[in-house]
Amino acid sequence: MSKSKKSSQKSQTDDLIGAVLVIGGGIAGIQASLDLTEMGFKVFLVEKTPSIGGRMAQLDKTFPTNDCSLCILAPKMVEIFRNPNIELMTYSEVIEVSGHVGHFYIKILKKPRYVDENKCTGCGDCASKCPKIEAPNIFDMNLGKRKSIYIPFPQAVPPVYLIDSDMCLFLNKGVCKVCERICEAQAINFEQKPEEVQIEVGAIIVAIGFDMLASKLPDNWGYKYENVITSLEYERILCASGPFEGHVLRLSDEKEPQKIAFIQCAGSRDFHIGIPYCSSVCCMYIAKEAIITKEHSNSSECYIFRHDLRAYGKNFYEYTQRAQDEYGVKYFNSKISKIVEDPETKDLIIHYEDLNDGKFNDLRANLVILATPLVPSEDSEKVAKILGINIDKYKFFKEKTLYDKLSSVREGIFLCGFCQGPLDIPETVADASGVANKVSTLLYPVRNTLLKEKVVSVPEKKINLEDEPCIGVMICHCGINIGKYVDVPQVVEYIKTLPNVNITVDNLYSCSSDSQTSIKELIAEYDLNRFIVASCTPRTHEKLFQETCEEAGLNKYLFEMVNIRDQCSWVHMEQKVDGTKKAKDLIEMAVAKSRLLKPQKESKLPITSEALIIGGGISGLSATLNIAKQGFTTHLVEKESQLGGNLNNLYQIFPGYQKASEFLEPFVNKVKSHSNINIYLNSNITEIRGYIGNYDVIITTKGNKVNNIKVGIIIVATGSKELIPETIYNYKKEKNVITQLELEQKLRKENIEWLDNIKSITFILCVNSRQKKGITYCSNICCTNALKNINILKKLKPDLALILIYRDLQMSKKGNEEFYRDSRKNALFLRYSLDKLPIISKTQNRKFNYKITLFEHNLKGDVEFYSDLIILATPMIAPENFKELSKMLKVPQDQSGFFLEAHVKLRPIDFATDGVFLCGCAHWPKNIQESIAQANGAAGRAIRILGAKEMKTSGLVAEVIEDYCIGCGKCADVCPYNAIELIEVEKTFEDYTLRLKKSNVNSALCKGCGTCGVQCPNSAIIIKHFSFKQINAMIEAYLKN
Amino acid sequence: MKIVEKSSKKQDIEFKPNIVCFCCNWCSYAGADLAGVSRFQYPASIRIIRVMCSGRVEPAFILKSFKDNIDGVLVTGCHIGDCHYISGNEFTKDRFEQLTKILKFLGLEDRFRLEWISASEGKKFAELITTFTNQIKKLGPLNNI
Repeated sequence: MSKSKKSSQKSQTDDLIGAVLVIGGGIAGIQASLDLTEMGFKVFLVEKTPSIGGRMAQLDKTFPTNDCSLCILAPKMVEIFRNPNIELMTYSEVIEVSGHVGHFYIKILKKPRYVDENKCTGCGDCASKCPKIEAPNIFDMNLGKRKSIYIPFPQAVPPVYLIDSDMCLFLNKGVCKVCERICEAQAINFEQKPEEVQIEVGAIIVAIGFDMLASKLPDNWGYKYENVITSLEYERILCASGPFEGHVLRLSDEKEPQKIAFIQCAGSRDFHIGIPYCSSVCCMYIAKEAIITKEHSNSSECYIFRHDLRAYGKNFYEYTQRAQDEYGVKYFNSKISKIVEDPETKDLIIHYEDLNDGKFNDLRANLVILATPLVPSEDSEKVAKILGINIDKYKFFKEKTLYDKLSSVREGIFLCGFCQGPLDIPETVADASGVANKVSTLLYPVRNTLLKEKVVSVPEKKINLEDEPCIGVMICHCGINIGKYVDVPQVVEYIKTLPNVNITVDNLYSCSSDSQTSIKELIAEYDLNRFIVASCTPRTHEKLFQETCEEAGLNKYLFEMVNIRDQCSWVHMEQKVDGTKKAKDLIEMAVAKSRLLKPQKESKLPITSEALIIGGGISGLSATLNIAKQGFTTHLVEKESQLGGNLNNLYQIFPGYQKASEFLEPFVNKVKSHSNINIYLNSNITEIRGYIGNYDVIITTKGNKVNNIKVGIIIVATGSKELIPETIYNYKKEKNVITQLELEQKLRKENIEWLDNIKSITFILCVNSRQKKGITYCSNICCTNALKNINILKKLKPDLALILIYRDLQMSKKGNEEFYRDSRKNALFLRYSLDKLPIISKTQNRKFNYKITLFEHNLKGDVEFYSDLIILATPMIAPENFKELSKMLKVPQDQSGFFLEAHVKLRPIDFATDGVFLCGCAHWPKNIQESIAQANGAAGRAIRILGAKEMKTSGLVAEVIEDYCIGCGKCADVCPYNAIELIEVEKTFEDYTLRLKKSNVNSALCKGCGTCGVQCPNSAIIIKHFSFKQINAMIEAYLKN
Repeated sequence: MKIVEKSSKKQDIEFKPNIVCFCCNWCSYAGADLAGVSRFQYPASIRIIRVMCSGRVEPAFILKSFKDNIDGVLVTGCHIGDCHYISGNEFTKDRFEQLTKILKFLGLEDRFRLEWISASEGKKFAELITTFTNQIKKLGPLNNI
């Protein structure tokens, strides 16, 4: 370590360090770390607790797909653990930071585990013999108990035990040491002391997440009662590996509760004694918990006490409707006064006001779950002080500007995830990629300076085709996801009897890092030359297991995966016998294929280091600038005659009230003047060919000018448009019934004479959105936009009467709740419901244009009022031209027409097709702040590829057996990638030579679809990994026994 | 090869059809996964064989299945125009139109179906399996003599 702390004389580039410190090992820190290493930076990941995983690891399922949370997170945790360029420091804290942007000096304190991380095998013998049992299990939200030597949870990374120094008998009373005697690895070390480590990094990412401090709630929420728990505690109860092994039980008597009440906004959105902001995720996770509860026990009754329903994301609103319509969950639009316990039964009595009729009621429930506020981590103040950054009034970290939420106030220190403000998981993941991009923009001159190549320590095993197959099979219980519906032990017994199967094992979670170790051990111990895992879907987990096999010296194409969860246990929940039979068959078929598997080789391809961004709105501009700044040529295509997209139609922007034109100008100027950027205005994409790293694109500009470009990646930032409400509220005929965008355009004119004759304006929200049919989704941005316009109008003309008619106000995220409360003084807020829409009629009244009639729930009758101008807040929709683009790019659209990302939780800005990324409103309606953050993320995902010089191709390709080929060329005719050409080959026979035509596959272009193999009349083409023989063997194996 | 149908006369043992379903990796396999994620229930009568593209499915696989006593065969892929491999499923469509003629000749056309399922059509996948299973149940088991 260098002693001189400042080298201020040197230019900053000389001083840059190609390493990054990431503080916090939740999903935000994990994603940022993984992206950073792919971009070419070394990462130090520091986590306060003994394992990475964070809050997401504690969740049972995730909304709105009910994916098993740990199942999708565990592969990423394992990836962190194996990555040679990530130095993982768990149970450690940053204690000192000095230096400057590009070169920080960091001091880290490693707390003693009293277990040697390098020696511990995670076997657990120590914990089984440890006599102390009363330590509360922190991972289970203190619901369960654990030993004083423990691993936080079975899938913990690193998979290493530690001793709780507060509980350990030896450390406190000097007697015991049972663990030391029992540990065969001799990993126990009571002599360990806190250790200080010093590192140097170029940038710092803070991702320390959130806490849930229910104990600080006011008494009326009843948290002191045994059967009142927080939602995070309930997640642990629902989880198969939780304190009750997935049985829904209440704490007082460990009996199954019949009536379960969920209370939203318990302590949040409270300006007097609670937390003033909205935590953003509770409406959705409560709906999820209720659905899962009903899945656990269909006879239970779930009641949700809600205030506003804030379901603003992709498929969110529909999810809450499904909870009600399909699962029978009952929602009360209500306010809670207090929750009290019946001391005899330990039931809870909820006193509430029904906001639909204004009546006060009581409801008796056996279990109450509180959606308590999610607050900044209790360390946030301390961390802010150490890092020299600011916190805001809520104690979240303060962002640099409203539109740059990923940067802190100190240069070189970036913010990511919930510690900056409330976010859901996909937003966090997108921000993590965005923050990695920010770091890369800062440190790109020193990219790849500190990286180590991944070294596989075990050399690849040579497989001779004549060797007898020797197959290992691992069958996963996936908690209860498979184990509850398929008789796994019975399947194991059956598979054991199959020929060539040398070893069959089952386990709770095959995806955990300790399972990866046991796969490697099995391959070594039994000298296996094939391996099969029967668990979830290969679409998410095949890569993980293939990598594990590679590490054990087994070519990854000798691995086969069987889907017995998504396509078996989850779809046959009430057919255990048939489901078990199916699982046996599926595995047997895979064994049949496995016998015929061959090792395959992968080759390397060069990458074109240029990018194409489609769409020149704020998202496209941000992504373009980010990529160009890092030295890559970037092509920006915009179909209109000017850059800026929807911002060209706005007056002032939310939340800063800057003029949209003034906000946009510096962006556009920077893009226009950057030497790495080519702009194509009035242009459309007319053809896209190729694949990741090598796309050939044709751009056609008005006037038929054609440009051919070659790019490595494509970012889709095509935005969305406002729905024109042709048939609603007489919009077409009435010139004083307009949309929000039309209002913005009026406001843009600066001259406000048009307001002179207007005395009253009514805003109607949710026009044609959140319907039962048609547009079923919430468009996310209309509420804040309407309130912004109300505040603007009130300022322009203070005596204007403003009325806002709404259904639920989407005021989640930091600061928005206060913005809403503050706006209330400027307008009259009236609520309506979908079954009683407001009615607008023309008046003869000279004073006003329209009469509005609205059913008022509290008054139980109609109210009438008058207005001159009606503003309709219609949803943002996907434009028609998405269809064309989606076909050209081979990427899917979702049911609402927006582009469909690769995975709604953990790959929110990728497409399933490699090399194509997504950001902005083309993904889902979002505001400027969110669009910019997401564009940063998309740029980050793209930089990973652009920055690499070459990439591996797949081994899944076609191969021509030359001797069988008759040179007919039918295969070349059907190949969609022009990967096959006919070449002339000289064949020498005994006394003469012939020139013959033969097909030849270019494996760099071949995508392995296999259609050529079917077309070949002479079976001369082998489709690797999906060969004729292999598939035939699977069919044969099905009914063999 | 001679294939004769035998209707299930015995009512006491419920006939549970054995069906092979070919799924392409990108759309229909993902649709089948979505059926699982959404917990849409369907009969445990199918065994899915994953291929990269429906264009990989050789008509011979279908004949082989019937030869091996499998009661029904489904081939599923991306919707026309959505193929991950641009045009693979168009060849699938042509090939199986031809095969259907042969299957008609063998009296097996009701035991085979080609369907397009997208990655977002979990419900459609579950419904397809349910209706096709019922269809095969009505036809009874296939016996190879």
